[in-house]
Amino acid sequence: MEQKASLAIQRQRATRKAAAIFLAPVMILLVVYIFYPIIDTFITSTYKWNGISANKTFIGLGNWSTLIHDMNFWIAFKNNMIIMILSIIIQIPLGLAMATFLDFGGKKLNIFKVLWFIPLLMSSVAIGFLFSYALATNGGIFSTISKLFGGGNIDLLGNPKFALYTVIGVICWQFAPFYMVYCMAGYSNISTDVFEASRIDGATRGQYFWNVALPLMIPSLKSAAILSMVGSLKYFDLIYVMTGGGPGTSTELMATYMYKNSFSQFNMGYGSAIAGGMFILISLIALFTMKILNRNAED
Amino acid sequence: MKRKVISILLCAAMVSTMLAGCGSSSTNTTQETTEAGTTEADASVSSSDDSKEIIFWNTGTEGVDKQLMDMVVKKFNETTTSGYTVKSVPTQNDTYKEKLVIAMSSGECPDIYTSWAGGPMNEYIEAGFAQPIDDLMNASDLPDKLMEASLEQAKYKDKTYGVPFLNVAVSGIYYNTEIFEKYNIEVPKTITELEAACDTLVANGITPFALANATKWTGSMYFMNLAARKGGLEPFQKAVDGSGTFEDECFKYAGEKIQEWVKKGYFPEGVNSLSEDDGQSKQLIYQETAAMECIGSWMTGTFKSDSEEFAQKLGWFPFPAGDDASIDSSILIGTIGDNFIHFNCTDEKQAAAFEFASMFTDDDVIQFMADNGKIPPVKNAADLITDPMTTQILKAATDAGAVQLWYDQYLPPAVATAHLDSCQELFGLTMTPEEADKKFQAAMEEYNNEQK
Repeated sequence: MEQKASLAIQRQRATRKAAAIFLAPVMILLVVYIFYPIIDTFITSTYKWNGISANKTFIGLGNWSTLIHDMNFWIAFKNNMIIMILSIIIQIPLGLAMATFLDFGGKKLNIFKVLWFIPLLMSSVAIGFLFSYALATNGGIFSTISKLFGGGNIDLLGNPKFALYTVIGVICWQFAPFYMVYCMAGYSNISTDVFEASRIDGATRGQYFWNVALPLMIPSLKSAAILSMVGSLKYFDLIYVMTGGGPGTSTELMATYMYKNSFSQFNMGYGSAIAGGMFILISLIALFTMKILNRNAED
Repeated sequence: MKRKVISILLCAAMVSTMLAGCGSSSTNTTQETTEAGTTEADASVSSSDDSKEIIFWNTGTEGVDKQLMDMVVKKFNETTTSGYTVKSVPTQNDTYKEKLVIAMSSGECPDIYTSWAGGPMNEYIEAGFAQPIDDLMNASDLPDKLMEASLEQAKYKDKTYGVPFLNVAVSGIYYNTEIFEKYNIEVPKTITELEAACDTLVANGITPFALANATKWTGSMYFMNLAARKGGLEPFQKAVDGSGTFEDECFKYAGEKIQEWVKKGYFPEGVNSLSEDDGQSKQLIYQETAAMECIGSWMTGTFKSDSEEFAQKLGWFPFPAGDDASIDSSILIGTIGDNFIHFNCTDEKQAAAFEFASMFTDDDVIQFMADNGKIPPVKNAADLITDPMTTQILKAATDAGAVQLWYDQYLPPAVATAHLDSCQELFGLTMTPEEADKKFQAAMEEYNNEQK
């Protein structure tokens, strides 16, 4: 009896040791590149520090109280929310539509598969430059078309009313293919038996899509929504290249605002507080959405 | 059989990539160690720095600036007896400022780097990333060669921290002489005349001013000049030291004029989406859809290197006088020196770096600068320059009652950002002049309070 127990314990110990060894590389990477920077950001956010000098002044929660009363930060947060909602509403249905089209069309539509995937292969910075020329007021695509029909120049990026929506259009152009691939993977997970069975039962393509395929794809669409959500909340590169957050604060995002404060205005302490604020807000929103989505799944 | 061949091929491929990986990684490590060596020495500013390479960060990514940097670096590396070599690392203008801050915050500041003096330079000095060079400076012939105003700009708390080397750059207005002739427009002497000229141009379907204001500091040129013509420099200086305010009449005037001009169509449509870095303002000048541009005089060199032939068409005049005759209309906004080299190294290395920096005032180098539309900040600049437009600019600069450094360089970074942001909103008509001035003033007050 006793021997047996110790053997079990021995085995357990050996398993633990092995687990520790196998997990170590990942844990070290996580600690060095994720946990430590997060903690350090929160520590830095309690200092008044210009980012380069050796003397930091401890000011406690001073940066945080400024942050809560900072209108610009909340405008940036609102812009982030608009991007998030519109991204989910536009990108996922668009991706699903493209995937459905390709799935129904079969091999003869492979050329579209390649064409539609191209935007995702380009770097955001390149896309930003490309579109800032394409959408330019003077000589851009829209202005040229408008002039052809006798209209005036169209200012899409310089007008605070349209700038954010213009940028969202570009973001959707870039990321819709990602959700296309995601949905195509979703389709390939549905077994052909299901498709054949529904055809034998006399379902039309429309009926198959709405009543069979879509319900089966809901789990992948849910995770796509979460990905899109987190992605749009921490969005940075395209906006930075195309508008730099301007004109005024019309396209300012939390991330661009953080960058400006930290690196252009020599205010690293406050920049860290913004980053900390972003971390908290994004985590809360993600947890909240996941809870809602999971509850529905249990019903 | 086939399968065997494939597997052997795959193995070979794997092994070769492994070897290739090893090869490149070993060279990487050596590079990293040398870099790490420099960094450590920089952080502690010690003389035990073994690296004989001086890393020089600058903004000479294209055109004359790049040729100039390459020329002086080559000259130094070939002729020096100090045992050091200089390696130039150029970065594009507007990203440069941020890249430098990031480098400093992680303790990887280069040995020598350029700045535009003013507020940011003071931050670098306070943070300990720029060392005073008074001894080297006084022992050299630079004080005799360089313009006094340029040396003045390189000082902070009575110590010299930089070597001015690039340009005398003042803001003024470039104009297309052919367009002016075609519509019988005289070079305007007053702001009223300038407005009359603009009205004529608008009536003929030509945009008066080429401006790309996504970059923000470009629009600030109009603001600074208008404010200086309305109230001189005193209101600005008072606002900075706290005895005055940015809600002064002259700043309100500047904001109102800008908005009036935007409404009258003096600026291109979508002005806040055009980017100076992408050359979208000079594009309008080249397309001849815009007739004038108020910008720093470094553009002479750019226009010339883009097209010598087109540059012949262009003329220059200083920002016209205001209505009030008691205000000195010779005041210019600009910089004497433009770029300054700062030293984040000491002793022997600093001496070598200083030797490098002083080569920018060698006769052949300043001649090269003068030939390419620049005004080197040296006392004998007038003798070197043959180009009529550059001569005119230099004359305006030397005759100026005062030269005020650009607001966005002169002011502390946080205040400068507040000014640039609110100024951009003025052009976008999304903020009233009063609101913009209030924001500007609030940032200045906050900074002054923190300093107390």
